[in-house]
Amino acid sequence: MATRNRTLVFRKYRDALKSVRAPTSSYASPSTSSGGGPVIELVSTSLLNPNRNYAPLSTEDPGNSSRGALTVGLPPAWVDLSEEIAANVQRARVKMAELTKAHAKALMPSFGDGKEDQRLIESLTQEITNLIRKSEKTLQRLSAAGPFEDSNVRKNVQRSLATDLQTLSMDLRKKQSTYLRRLRQQTEGQDGDDLEMNLNGSTSRMDGDDLDDMVVQSVNELAQIMKDLAVLVIDQGTIVDRIDYNIQNVASTVDEGLKQLQKEKVRGRGNDSLGNECPGICIELKIHVLHGEGRFVFAKGSMLILPIFICRDFVLSFPRTRV
Amino acid sequence: MVLVTAVRDYLSRMLQDISGMKVLILDSHTVSIVSVAYSQSELLQKEVFLVELVDSISKSRESMSHLKAVYFLAPTSENIQFLRRHLVSPRFGEYHLFFSNILKDTQIHILADSDEHEVVQQLQEFYADFVATDPYHFTLNMPSNHMYMLPAVVDHSNLQRLCDRVVDGIAAVFLALKRRPVIRYQRTSDIAKRIAQETAKLMYQQESGLFDFRRTEISPLLLVIDRRDDPVTPLLNQWTYQAMVHELIGIQDNKVDLRNIGKFPKDQEEVVLSSEQDAFFKKNMYENFGDIGMNIKQLVDEFQQISKCNQNIQTIEDMAKFVDNYPEYRKMHGNVSKHVALVTEMSKLVEERKLMVVSQTEQELACNGGQVAAFEAVTNLLNNESVSDIDRLRLVMLYALRYEKESPVQLMQLFNKLSSKSPKYKPGLVQFLLKQAGVDKRTGDLYGNRDFLNIARNMARGLKGVENVYTQHQPLLFQTMESITKGRLRDVDYPFVGNHFQQGRPQEVVIFIVGGTTYEESRCVALQNAMNTGIRFILGGSVILNSKRFLKDLEEAQRIALRTEGKTYPINLEAKIYSSSHTLPPRRTGEKNHFFC
Repeated sequence: MATRNRTLVFRKYRDALKSVRAPTSSYASPSTSSGGGPVIELVSTSLLNPNRNYAPLSTEDPGNSSRGALTVGLPPAWVDLSEEIAANVQRARVKMAELTKAHAKALMPSFGDGKEDQRLIESLTQEITNLIRKSEKTLQRLSAAGPFEDSNVRKNVQRSLATDLQTLSMDLRKKQSTYLRRLRQQTEGQDGDDLEMNLNGSTSRMDGDDLDDMVVQSVNELAQIMKDLAVLVIDQGTIVDRIDYNIQNVASTVDEGLKQLQKEKVRGRGNDSLGNECPGICIELKIHVLHGEGRFVFAKGSMLILPIFICRDFVLSFPRTRV
Repeated sequence: MVLVTAVRDYLSRMLQDISGMKVLILDSHTVSIVSVAYSQSELLQKEVFLVELVDSISKSRESMSHLKAVYFLAPTSENIQFLRRHLVSPRFGEYHLFFSNILKDTQIHILADSDEHEVVQQLQEFYADFVATDPYHFTLNMPSNHMYMLPAVVDHSNLQRLCDRVVDGIAAVFLALKRRPVIRYQRTSDIAKRIAQETAKLMYQQESGLFDFRRTEISPLLLVIDRRDDPVTPLLNQWTYQAMVHELIGIQDNKVDLRNIGKFPKDQEEVVLSSEQDAFFKKNMYENFGDIGMNIKQLVDEFQQISKCNQNIQTIEDMAKFVDNYPEYRKMHGNVSKHVALVTEMSKLVEERKLMVVSQTEQELACNGGQVAAFEAVTNLLNNESVSDIDRLRLVMLYALRYEKESPVQLMQLFNKLSSKSPKYKPGLVQFLLKQAGVDKRTGDLYGNRDFLNIARNMARGLKGVENVYTQHQPLLFQTMESITKGRLRDVDYPFVGNHFQQGRPQEVVIFIVGGTTYEESRCVALQNAMNTGIRFILGGSVILNSKRFLKDLEEAQRIALRTEGKTYPINLEAKIYSSSHTLPPRRTGEKNHFFC
């Protein structure tokens, strides 16, 4: 694809014209200094002035003088938040790589009970989840109101980070489920060797419940995050993903969505129900879909605290959940 | 992928070397170009956190110097003025300026003069100056398209503007492809000739350095033809998905606006139909209505299966699966409802306007013979109260184009009936069409009845029978492409510009239709390319037509032509024109030769 760079020509003209140009200084606009950006206005009286001299008639606006040497200015405060989130996302990605390695190592047959492996996996998973959750909370803080343009930029930064977070959560979930599935396959294949294994590994036998709990916990987390992010994440290929559409409908849609989300959060807290039935776990699924259909409730809270110990040799039987 | 990829590459290059938070500033022209090729989420990934229009920016004074501004504008004088104002009081930290076509030196001067604060870091020309709606189809979205029907004497400056825009657009396509073509044009069209010659001048003389690419053995071919050589295709009703949606509802920059045709929930008011992003659409865009219906039903069944599973969550595994697949599910839900909505609306329209009946006659008029039967059919449909005005007009036009010379009395009867049945019909429109695109004006063998070979072919086709009576029409473009493929495009009909010459078949061909393309033709091109004959065709036009747009252009051109002439055509004059058999109306003294291009 052909392009043509006219920068050199441009610079040549610019330099030539700079030397030719009459000394222009910035004129402080007497009435309309809105304390904002570097507004340069020629005082209208100079045009009416018969001898048309453009010598500075008033003192330069101090703010403008710094414009000579151009540097990228200081960003507003909320950019720090977004950078924090971006850093967290990066950290989480690094940890995900470590987690993949740990999963692979744990799945390899080895002597010993593999407890350190499991602990490492668990701690990594926990760290990543925490990072995601923390980032998500910070993300909510990004959406305070502000001046118009800035709010658009903020909204877009939010959306971008929301997409990153969602991808991260889904990745984590996928890794976990693959790992658990492979683990299950391994242990099922080892049923015949149970007796032998039991001799040294019986203490860390995986409880079917614990495995369920772990799955439930991770699914919970993911659902929670997706619910929170659903309003921000753009569905690719839809009208909302079109640049021309976004130019027209700027901040309104997301504000509405966030308001709705706040309402849901408040309402949702009163609805937690957890039925503890013997081997099974009672789970109701609730996901608030943006389009308002389908209501499933996730049980929150208590599920998140259960510690999980994973052992290699266990027989998985998924208890049926009573809905 | 070719055209869309080219635009995407340009945009990626624009953004990739600039680090940090960016704002992208477009104009109304480049917004379309960018929107069909790049999505908002992709922009976000490149850290573009704000997109604005260059003319709206001036309303605000908020300074955001932590953002770097990337401007992508067309090199028009209005944009230069806007830019001047922005540069004089810059809001952003850095300014990176990209233009979609060639800048004049004076424009660079003006910009250099206003850059007092030296905020401009680069100024480049990135030639993404066409709207790449499909991989092998582009449009220029020209507003005053109708100008092409009028001779230069009528409105010299606007016509020059149209030609300039077309030349720039075609040049941009070739710059994006990094090729310099051999140029041919349709002999009988003045405007095609003019555009071909001006393009040649640009590529070989004025900016020959810019176009001096690595020469391949066989140059690509640019063929400039006139819409009026095939006026039938834009008038026909369509039955393949993409073309049908455009004909019945209207697609603009791959977006469909459903607001005018009914009440829809907020998120369904506008939908996107892009083959790049929608796999179902990509598979079905060239299928006919019956097959689409079946495929959509299948899609809905699949989706319902998944929904049922989702509602029947009993084990943790089910739940886990649901959550994992939720984004996919949501996307599929959106997609399914979009297609269902579209097909439902189109079915409704087909029913209301009795398009099955109307279209059958249209196809007969376009394809098979039988003047008597045709006349009867058209008369019956004109008498039918449920046929809409636009459909009546189209039928009469199609009949007139086909049987222009046979039985003028009957033709006149149809005109009269049309005027009486359709109060809004502007008298003389059909005749205007005939003057523009009648048999004397056309080069190509539109009805396959000039060339012996074509007649034979038509007979053979008639004997074989047609698969689907509604899609039997082949646009003239198909024949043109076939001729090019066989190396048999006649010099006498499509001469070369200047001293261009080409031995043998080209491997890349860009066909530009002045006056607009249709989706039926882009389908034709896509199917031709899929046959892998060794030649790749790209189709482009000034707009993408449907019958409504084509008729609007005709009306607009007629209005200007009449205004210029200073008098309106009385109805009885139509009778005079067509009572004299086979000869043109006598030239009145002082009457300018307006309509013969």
